[in-house]
Amino acid sequence: MKTIRLMAVGGTIAYRALFNWTTPGMFVGTLLVGPLFQLLFFAYLGRQLQVADDRFYIVGNAVLTASLACVFGGTMAVANERRYGTLGHVLLSPRSRTLIFWGRVLPYAGNGLLIAVVTLTVGALLLGLRIPLSALPGLLLAMAAGSLACGFFGLTLGALGLRFRDVWVISNVAVALLLLLTGVNVPADGLPGWMVTVGQWLPITHAASAARSFAAGEGFASAAPALGRELLVGAVYAAAAVILLKIFETESRRRASLDTY
Amino acid sequence: MSTLRLLLVGTLLHAKQISRSPFEVAIALVVPVVQATLAVYLFRSGGEQHRLLEAAVGAGVMGVWSSVLFGSGGAIQNQRWQGTLEMIMMAPRRPALVILPITIATGITGTYALLATLAWGRLLYGIRLDFAHPVAFVVAAVVCVVGLGMFGLLLAATFVLMRNANALANTLEYPVWLVSGMLVPITVLPAWTVPVAAILPTTWGARALREATSGGPVWPSVALCLGISLICLLVGFLVMGRVERRARAAATLALA
Repeated sequence: MKTIRLMAVGGTIAYRALFNWTTPGMFVGTLLVGPLFQLLFFAYLGRQLQVADDRFYIVGNAVLTASLACVFGGTMAVANERRYGTLGHVLLSPRSRTLIFWGRVLPYAGNGLLIAVVTLTVGALLLGLRIPLSALPGLLLAMAAGSLACGFFGLTLGALGLRFRDVWVISNVAVALLLLLTGVNVPADGLPGWMVTVGQWLPITHAASAARSFAAGEGFASAAPALGRELLVGAVYAAAAVILLKIFETESRRRASLDTY
Repeated sequence: MSTLRLLLVGTLLHAKQISRSPFEVAIALVVPVVQATLAVYLFRSGGEQHRLLEAAVGAGVMGVWSSVLFGSGGAIQNQRWQGTLEMIMMAPRRPALVILPITIATGITGTYALLATLAWGRLLYGIRLDFAHPVAFVVAAVVCVVGLGMFGLLLAATFVLMRNANALANTLEYPVWLVSGMLVPITVLPAWTVPVAAILPTTWGARALREATSGGPVWPSVALCLGISLICLLVGFLVMGRVERRARAAATLALA
């Protein structure tokens, strides 16, 4: 119970402290309107080029939109502590560092899920995509798995912020690469083999695939393998983030460079 | 003459400053290349191999817009963070004349994106740089960059008032890419987007570059891009003056 409390309460307090866009207008504009236009951009481009149908683009991009909040949020969870000079206090805590930082990811993953749900709903209404009601629980599950995996991916990038001066370059490039490598916009058979392979180890790839299966009316059994792979990718990044944070924390203490840039 | 000198020296100063920022340079170089790669594979998958140069140019223009958009938002915010916004506003020249070089410099930085996507397409995908009107392409690129810089002034004027201007910039990236027809032809968009597209300099700049690439009447688009950009410049001047006085009166220049 204490562990859950640490993750939930700690994560919520940190989210409120570190999340920059405090006004509702900014939240809606940045995290809801922007991603919706991203979906529309690729849906219209896909329609024009006739690469795939609307479902492919709308569902895939809706899942991908979670990455904006999750990758930047996960990065922010570490990088902003450093920027505001509070990282040292966090690292002095007697509680488990792993739980503290995993807890940080949860609000951003929730944020990502909210963005994905809103984007899918509005995108489907605007572009006339019909999704069977029976598919909604599965879609929610796929988007939640994608958001969580993306949050841990962001936390891994944030851990790099303890070592590299400008972690935002890495985050921005990572978000752009997710557009290309996750197969959300270009079907896997249109990408080179190595890009597909890299994409298999990135968040969103399998969640988008599972979501498309659900949206097509296929059952849980059909989407379960992709869902499992997405959760595995998330678990790998969760572990990688903890290991990197441990390594870089130790190194920062040794070199007394925790708060230096 | 002194105004021209101010603009030239200011643009050079800010272009140098931006080009010293690893973040700005990395974003200007890497992200457009990723976008161009995405565009190339999308166009290939759609059986549009003959339009790959168009795709690379479109991705480059997207990069120019991103640079201007985030540059204009970031320029004001950066000055604010550095504590130099008040000094800029206190300069014995009109504020717009001091801010305009910043926004033009962001457009010039954006040309990295255009050059990078073309070089990337040529080297990696063997896209032949067979422009239908090579001279017109260069002219259109210059007009597009300067025009977007002028549009950036209008954006910057509104950004002075906002605490999180960069957040607004995030919101405007994809809509302008979409509505301006940088990769998606305007003809496939809903009818209501047509008048919106018609008043954006980005639409005509992107169209001029596309026509110079694949053939078509380049000069009317160039003229329209320049004309609308000049209107933006004029409006930007007026808005910047009003916004500056308002921010001074409310004592919120550094806090807005």
